[in-house]
Amino acid sequence: MSLLELKGVKKIYQQGKIEVPALRGVDLIVEQGEFSTIFGPSGSGETTLLNMIGCLDTPTEGEIRLNGNKVSDLSRKALAMTRRFNIGFVFQSYNLIPVLTAYENVEFAIRLIDHTSELKIKERVLQILEEVGLKGLENRRPNELSGGESQRVAIARALVKEPKLVLADEPTANLDSKNATDVVKIMVKMNKELGTTFIFSTHDPMVMEYAHRYINFKDGMISADERRG
Amino acid sequence: MFSFKFGLKNITRQKRRNVITIMVIAFAFFGYLFMDSVMGGMEEMSFSNIKNYDTGNIQVAYPEYWEDREKLPLENLIYLNQDIVDSIKNMDGILGVSPELRFKANLNNGIDETVVLGLGISPEQYNEVFATQNYIIEGSMFSPGESKAVIGVKLAELMDLKINDYITLLVRTKEDTFNTIDVEITGLLNTPNPMINNGVVFVPLDIAQQALNVDNGFSLLALKTASGDEDKIGKVLMDSFKDKDLELQAYSWRESAESIIALSTAKKGGIGTILSVVLLIGMIGIINNVILSALERTGEIGMMKALGMREWEIVFVFMVEATGIGILGGLAGCLIGFAGVGLMAKYGFGFNVMGIDISEYGIPILDKIYGTWNYPAFSFLFILSVTVALLSSIVPAYWAAHKDPVKAIYHR
Repeated sequence: MSLLELKGVKKIYQQGKIEVPALRGVDLIVEQGEFSTIFGPSGSGETTLLNMIGCLDTPTEGEIRLNGNKVSDLSRKALAMTRRFNIGFVFQSYNLIPVLTAYENVEFAIRLIDHTSELKIKERVLQILEEVGLKGLENRRPNELSGGESQRVAIARALVKEPKLVLADEPTANLDSKNATDVVKIMVKMNKELGTTFIFSTHDPMVMEYAHRYINFKDGMISADERRG
Repeated sequence: MFSFKFGLKNITRQKRRNVITIMVIAFAFFGYLFMDSVMGGMEEMSFSNIKNYDTGNIQVAYPEYWEDREKLPLENLIYLNQDIVDSIKNMDGILGVSPELRFKANLNNGIDETVVLGLGISPEQYNEVFATQNYIIEGSMFSPGESKAVIGVKLAELMDLKINDYITLLVRTKEDTFNTIDVEITGLLNTPNPMINNGVVFVPLDIAQQALNVDNGFSLLALKTASGDEDKIGKVLMDSFKDKDLELQAYSWRESAESIIALSTAKKGGIGTILSVVLLIGMIGIINNVILSALERTGEIGMMKALGMREWEIVFVFMVEATGIGILGGLAGCLIGFAGVGLMAKYGFGFNVMGIDISEYGIPILDKIYGTWNYPAFSFLFILSVTVALLSSIVPAYWAAHKDPVKAIYHR
């Protein structure tokens, strides 16, 4: 069974009286453990696709299955629970909570799903922060972290609950090339070590190099789907 | 628990705005507590001044007299032998009994004339019930049988009178014929009750009875009891009158102070209005705070939704923050209120500083008004602040939590 299946997914936004199609019928299958990139010109619909896959939005037409379960017509509450237990997100602008430390930002995600002992949670959070190279920076607040460090916290937050799928929307767009490479390398490492499936959108060819699968998006449709390695 | 901690941490954001909201709530609470204290003090002092200088704790009179008492009639007077008066005085809980003959008089100083309340009293008995004698600031109280009078300083000022001056009280006798009481002023009073200072002339009871041709009749008996015992003792008195076949009735001071009680009731209404305004200020402050926070943290709300938080969990975070602000505002309000009420209770406030004579508004207080402590008001207000903060945050918090996750994340 595939981790993710999309069949004829369409998304039409209504802007006043005008219908704007963002996805024009997407068929896609993603297996567990894949490290895929979605790319294409700006406005081609890749962010909309990630939102559909991430259960942040529902398609106008078509079907999305995650782990075999149909998620395309779930209620808001059920979608929230699906996101909580199955999906991690990394965004371009990190979206860290400024009043929380790096540790607490990561802890926030695991607290939503794990009600086990304090010690276990602490161990897990410290471990993931160490894995993303933030050992010693646990008590820093987002305004005391660089862009690269902030994005690593965001990755740690996405991974701490060990989701099946991590979606990253242009995770390196706000970073310089060194930090961008570091962030992608961490994602690759986590993909290998934990077997987490990554799907990320990017416009950066250097970052794309690390992907195993390239999904080219154009005008709301997949124009090419290529695997490497 | 983490959401609770997160909500609390959010209070430290937008410090300036939160501090302003907290201060607005605090000053609104202070205003309420201060006004409540002043009103309470005014009420307490008014009641005390009525009891100590005007009515005593209980008044005994015939119901027919009581109904017409404002007209100061010379009908339906009490004619009791001393034994009955003594038996009342010897009852448990009664600390003093004073017969009073109240009459309408025109005070004439030889040039001008003014309407006054004449009060025939027996000084020794009067002093057992009222504290008036302590406020004779010049001269002394008369003795029975002396053609002398004691008047208030304000009245003396108005009529340009001083000690040893002679005045004439023009009165109507029981038979409705004119008579005069010529008396020498022997003392000037300045009691805390301005009504006494402004318009009462005290004369010996026997002199008044003679001039009014009422034999040994008097209008009423003023009784002093321990404060708060009025109803209980009033009931015992009524039973005793019934046993003696007397149609007399005992009236608590409250019944003679209806206008002040009405003011007190109006005070409660006023306080209620202030409370509503305070709550409205608190609500607007909290709602404004939550809405602004939600607008500023749209991306964060999106992130919380992406993490899989349910709407009520996001609402909870905002509610904790709003309630925290409500608690801080309530605490600050109680602290400032505590200081304000403390100062008011210790040093008081004189309306005369502002050129206001509150006795003109029917409030029997001459000098400063001292605040009273109303401790339940502090706890009531604090609990109310927390509740209002909690409740007023729900709708804006739900509005924030209900945002579309995609729009929230990308600030669309």
